[in-house]
Amino acid sequence: MCAQSITSTKEAKWQKVLYERQPFPDNYVDRRFLEELRKNIYARKYQYWAVVFESSVVIQQLCSVCVFVVIWWYMDEGLLAPHWLFGTGLASSLMGYVLFDLIDGGEGRKKSGRTRWADLKSALVFVAFTYGFSPVLKTLTESVSTDTIYAMSVFMLLGHLIFFDYGANAAIVSSTLSLNMAIFASVCLASRLPRSVHAFVMVTFAIQIFALWPMLQKKLKACTPRSYVGVTMLFAFSALGGLLSISAVGAILFALLLVSISCLCPFYLIRLQLFKENIHGPWDEAEIKEDLSRFLS
Amino acid sequence: MVLKAFFPTCCASADSGLLVGRWVPEQSSAVVLAVVHFPFIPIQVKELLAQVQQASRVGMAVLGTWCHRQQEPEESLGHFLEGLGTIFSHEPWLQLCRERGSKFWSCKAIHRQVSAAPDVPSEDQVMLIFYDQRKVLLSQLHPPTVVSDHQDGDTMASTGGLAVVFDTVARSEVLFCSDQYDEGPVRLSHWQSEGVEASVLVELAKRASGPVCLLLACLLSLISAASGCRLWKLWPLPFIRSKLSTCEQLRHRLDHLTLVFSTQKAQSPAQLMRKANMLVSVLLDVALGLMLLSWLHSSNRIGQLADALVPVADHVAEELQHLLQWLMGAPAGLKMNRALDQVLGRFFLYHIHLWISYIHLMSPFIERILWHVGLSACLGLTVALSILSDIIALLTFHIYCFYVYGARLYCLKIYGLSSLWRLFRGKKWNVLRQRVDSCSYNLDQLFIGTLLFTILVFLLPTTALYYLVFTLLRLLVVTVQGLIHLLVDLVNTLPLYSLGLRLCRPYRLAAGVKFRVLEHEVGRPLRLLMQINPLPYSRVVHTYRLPSCGCHPKHSWGSLCRKLFFGELIYPWRQGGDKQD
Repeated sequence: MCAQSITSTKEAKWQKVLYERQPFPDNYVDRRFLEELRKNIYARKYQYWAVVFESSVVIQQLCSVCVFVVIWWYMDEGLLAPHWLFGTGLASSLMGYVLFDLIDGGEGRKKSGRTRWADLKSALVFVAFTYGFSPVLKTLTESVSTDTIYAMSVFMLLGHLIFFDYGANAAIVSSTLSLNMAIFASVCLASRLPRSVHAFVMVTFAIQIFALWPMLQKKLKACTPRSYVGVTMLFAFSALGGLLSISAVGAILFALLLVSISCLCPFYLIRLQLFKENIHGPWDEAEIKEDLSRFLS
Repeated sequence: MVLKAFFPTCCASADSGLLVGRWVPEQSSAVVLAVVHFPFIPIQVKELLAQVQQASRVGMAVLGTWCHRQQEPEESLGHFLEGLGTIFSHEPWLQLCRERGSKFWSCKAIHRQVSAAPDVPSEDQVMLIFYDQRKVLLSQLHPPTVVSDHQDGDTMASTGGLAVVFDTVARSEVLFCSDQYDEGPVRLSHWQSEGVEASVLVELAKRASGPVCLLLACLLSLISAASGCRLWKLWPLPFIRSKLSTCEQLRHRLDHLTLVFSTQKAQSPAQLMRKANMLVSVLLDVALGLMLLSWLHSSNRIGQLADALVPVADHVAEELQHLLQWLMGAPAGLKMNRALDQVLGRFFLYHIHLWISYIHLMSPFIERILWHVGLSACLGLTVALSILSDIIALLTFHIYCFYVYGARLYCLKIYGLSSLWRLFRGKKWNVLRQRVDSCSYNLDQLFIGTLLFTILVFLLPTTALYYLVFTLLRLLVVTVQGLIHLLVDLVNTLPLYSLGLRLCRPYRLAAGVKFRVLEHEVGRPLRLLMQINPLPYSRVVHTYRLPSCGCHPKHSWGSLCRKLFFGELIYPWRQGGDKQD
């Protein structure tokens, strides 16, 4: 009788249910527990050249900041006439504007419903306000020391690079904040320039390079990836060339940074993917996979 | 149950007779008000009691007998007194007796309960409490306002019982009007005011007060009608009137006088006290004002004052000029925006220039103006002080102007910066939900917003410094005005009559009573003497404070600092919005 009861308890199988009384302690699990363990089910396999291609957004933004600083330096030194910069900027903006519509055949414009009149109005607002405020900008930071202004500008440009929308889906990304920081930095730097025309041209250039140029880039990347790669290379080399004309050490360091971001970092990312150990199993939190919106409405 | 018999001290030496008073069954206490002497006719006693009861609305009854043995004990008197109990039936029947020497008292309370034992009257323990009838009659009991939790119901009951005793004595004042020497049908013994005949002057004043009050009330109503005239309601006048503290003070005083000289009789003692307080306050005010007037008009002090006033105003303006020039440099090594600094400094300098020329234009007339203003001191010291406060306000008008300009500019900057900072972070203030929401802005909105934000950030220190300096100046002026207003308020609200009463007649304002043991022997009734505890001065002031003028805003320190930080204007007077609170 006694032996029979022992065999019956041994035969009693453990079930993962709460509604039946079972002869096991509460924290008991049997061998099948780890059968459902799975690893790396959501991990993505990266292709090296695809990652390099995606990293070009970061390269572009770094080059934009570099070009801006180089141009400002030329202006501050008096090597670059503001009229020349303004003319070049205007011409390239017009070119970019035409290109912007040509790339996708005007589809984006139809989708957003933005008229050319609105574009013209925006451009007029930019120019008018910048021109009107340029004397104020000129005298704005007279009493503040130059080092403070430089520190503030560096801080703001770093903030611009950190918060820029590189296409990642993260909470820290805020394109508004990044653009505002860039404009703040440009206004700070412009106030150090010798004349109010310089300040006006500098702020206009900042809008072109920080607001308009990324929009064109995005469209280029989406529609014609090949030409985008070419444009990026060209832009990076021109930025390097500009920096080289100021300081060779800076150019070498910048080149190293660009190479490490575009070649080393993707390589390192793919290497690190091998060490990924992401475990999933029945202990995970419940996940609602069905779309609940039909119940909510 | 111990029976408490309240017995007036003035009746202790009275002849034998009947005890007349009120029986309070809740506290089982008998309040003896008077002693009726022999001989009397019971019907007449009852009639007298009915009359008093009708007049005072206090349940009067014959409580028992009083026996004062001055000579040898008479057996017949004792029997006679016992017999009286059957004529005036009362439950319980008190028998109070005083032996020859004032030492020995005896007191018995007899219940004639018909149901229990008709033949054997049961006796209670009696506590004899002596009270000074005059003091109790004149005093006014102030029950404790704050009853803390650990005090239970007994305290409340005892204060309630005391209140009943005080109330009974105060309401049966009619009884005390009859004179001891009157040849009435019933002879009474109780407290009597001495020397009614001597107070002819008081009588005369009482008689005269009616017509005088009527006349003054007519005059005052005429004045208030004139001030209520429609001509005063034309646009700028009500605004100016609400800002001048003199007008507020005059109106306040007019209200006081109207109340004091109203022909209606004061309903309650509190109201009477309030009237007296107001009258004393007005009288003191006018007396002080007349003293000031006589001081001012003796030995040409007004001329000296007027001569001193213009140089002082000039000096203040010069100091302000120096201050502005200091601000226009680089004060304390601050990073000021030079262009804005120069603009603001020149603007304020021009303002001071205007002010100085205005003062110089006014200077020939200042003496005459001061002379006429000095005359107003006969309306009272408070009016003169209010006028002084107004004159200070007028003479520091330039500081007020600077403050307003600085505050408006600063306020604009602060609000602009706070909303542009939200734009800088890509947020906006949602008015409907009262919170900060994220928002996607257009490119041109972002650009203009950030441009303005940068400019405002770099210009903020300059504006903030000007605001700070002028706010400090303004606060100085407001503090001086506030001190003057405090003084005026003190004279306005201090209950001087009550305080004088408390000083000279402490028993008139009673906070409670204390008992002193006169005799405590076994087999004899406990004899206590009730003495009145006077009200403390702080409670006198608290209870009888007159309502203040009510034209000063009540800022908490926190809200004041908040207002200063956000650049909202602070005023020494109450604003339209605050009146709703």
